[in-house]
Amino acid sequence: MNDKDSDPAIYVNNLSKSYGSFLALRGIDLTVNRGEVFGFLGPNGAGKTTAIRCMLDLIRRDTGTVCVLGKDPHSDPVRVRELCGYLPGELRLDENISVHSILKYLRDLRGGGKNCYIRAQELAERLDLNVRSKIKNLSKGNKQKVGIISAFMHCPDLLLLDEPTSGLDPLIQQTVLEMVKESRCSGSTVFFSSHVLAEVQAVADRVAIIREGQVVEAGETSSLLSGRALRMKVVFAENTALRTHEIEALSGITLDEVSSDGRELKLIIDGGMDELIKALAGYTVDSIETERPDLEEVFLSYYGEVSARDSMGKKANG
Amino acid sequence: MEKFLQGIVWGKKQMDKFYIITSYSLRRSVWAIIGWGIPLMLLGIITIPFYDLVAENEKQLRPVLENLKPLVKSFIGGDEAEQIFTPQGFISLRYFAFLPVILGIYGSVSGSGLLAADEERGILDFVLAHPVSRGQLFWGRVFAFTISLWCIIGLGWLGLWIGVIKAGSMNFPPFQLLLPYLSVFAVTWFFACFSLALSMFMPSRSSAAMVSGIVVLAGYIITTLSKAIKGLESWAVFSPLTYYQSDAMMGFKIVLFGKLFLAALFLLFLARTGFGLRDIRVAGDGGWKLPFTRG
Repeated sequence: MNDKDSDPAIYVNNLSKSYGSFLALRGIDLTVNRGEVFGFLGPNGAGKTTAIRCMLDLIRRDTGTVCVLGKDPHSDPVRVRELCGYLPGELRLDENISVHSILKYLRDLRGGGKNCYIRAQELAERLDLNVRSKIKNLSKGNKQKVGIISAFMHCPDLLLLDEPTSGLDPLIQQTVLEMVKESRCSGSTVFFSSHVLAEVQAVADRVAIIREGQVVEAGETSSLLSGRALRMKVVFAENTALRTHEIEALSGITLDEVSSDGRELKLIIDGGMDELIKALAGYTVDSIETERPDLEEVFLSYYGEVSARDSMGKKANG
Repeated sequence: MEKFLQGIVWGKKQMDKFYIITSYSLRRSVWAIIGWGIPLMLLGIITIPFYDLVAENEKQLRPVLENLKPLVKSFIGGDEAEQIFTPQGFISLRYFAFLPVILGIYGSVSGSGLLAADEERGILDFVLAHPVSRGQLFWGRVFAFTISLWCIIGLGWLGLWIGVIKAGSMNFPPFQLLLPYLSVFAVTWFFACFSLALSMFMPSRSSAAMVSGIVVLAGYIITTLSKAIKGLESWAVFSPLTYYQSDAMMGFKIVLFGKLFLAALFLLFLARTGFGLRDIRVAGDGGWKLPFTRG
């Protein structure tokens, strides 16, 4: 272990990048620790790919600091790329050669030995990919598998995966997520952008949400979820005379919906659980169901705000 | 100082990657070599034996040539048009006079596509995410292109030699036939470097190829017409084809070759600087659109 191992896998500070007049990244800050799976969430055009491409020095930042595995990608791009495995969001390959040839070429570029290619073949088997096929004859999903193999075949210290499961069938998606978990177990760091929230929730230790070039939320996946309001559905016994104003008056409790017969309540609970249980004790309760919000709700809550703001803006302008 | 030297002097590892990129790029160029080299070879095999026929009919053809108007004559060699009755002149006027246009177009298309084609297809983004420097990729591809060009020239030279053997009244050593090809190489390489440099600064590969192609054709017209129209002589200085030597079999001028070669080198270093400084585009980036084609 050298002294640089104490550096975070990725450190981004105040990173900005513009394309002409379009500001793609507006001063983002990120820290990804070594050995973790970090989910980078955002819709198309939010700046996920731009951030990843800055980390590999494929594009040059306007301002800010980027440090990948303790190195500045701009001053030492080859070393950074040596330590990273990268899967682009839109993978394009030479069409006229075979999978076998392109993997050998990519292995040679990496300076990887025989073991690297043996691992590539193992991964191809695992992903059910025929290495003798020509690239032009492959489906989108199979081309994606080639990219995945090239990213994983040299067991990199850091995997930068831009929408890795895009175009894959559900079974292979699961295999890729397993590979991500295995990489973490073997000590690699995985930075993976996606807008498929379920897969990020399944594998990511921490997540960041990017919106219009700014990181709007970052933290541990579990704390991001636990910090959110619970949903509760309460079904009362027949002929219950429900005093909804009493429940509404409780702090931290929002009455979301009441059924027409008054037997069913839907509540959003953001604290005040003890008072609620005590209040419900005064009634005959048939059933209680609680539901934790998933990452999708957290994500949509940010984008919901934007949509609402946008539509208000449009109305005001109209 | 040490870091600066590391930047310009490659070690074994860097050279290995340079060779990997060169050999891979060469494999990709096989069809271009066949597609351009074989027709060029056939052109030599078919065209050169016609000299016997021209030599036989010199008496009938010479008055026709002498009575041509200067403007018309400029397109078949100007004052040197009568050289067509000598073996060297025939090869120069009927074969080498057109090669810079043909291979200039090849150079423009290939040079503009050397990096920008893969960049626009999104392939470069993926390749450069591997541990290769932009310098290795750039020089590896330029070197592969240079080898491809020499392969094409080699096939052309072979065709010319076969043509000379087939023509009963010609007798040149193979080396003498190679001299004009040195000039062909210089002019093609110039246009390749020119369009490569343009592709690094212009928004798309096609726009770079188009501008370079226009320069090839405009240069050909200006250089040709300047033999008949005195006012064009000052403009012809700027045409790369003015420095081309189709008649190099009668004496190769190293200064003309050197001027083209140095200009090409300058453009090459300009392209390399541009490639080092710019963002790598992803598929679909860039491109100029005419106002009426904008969606």
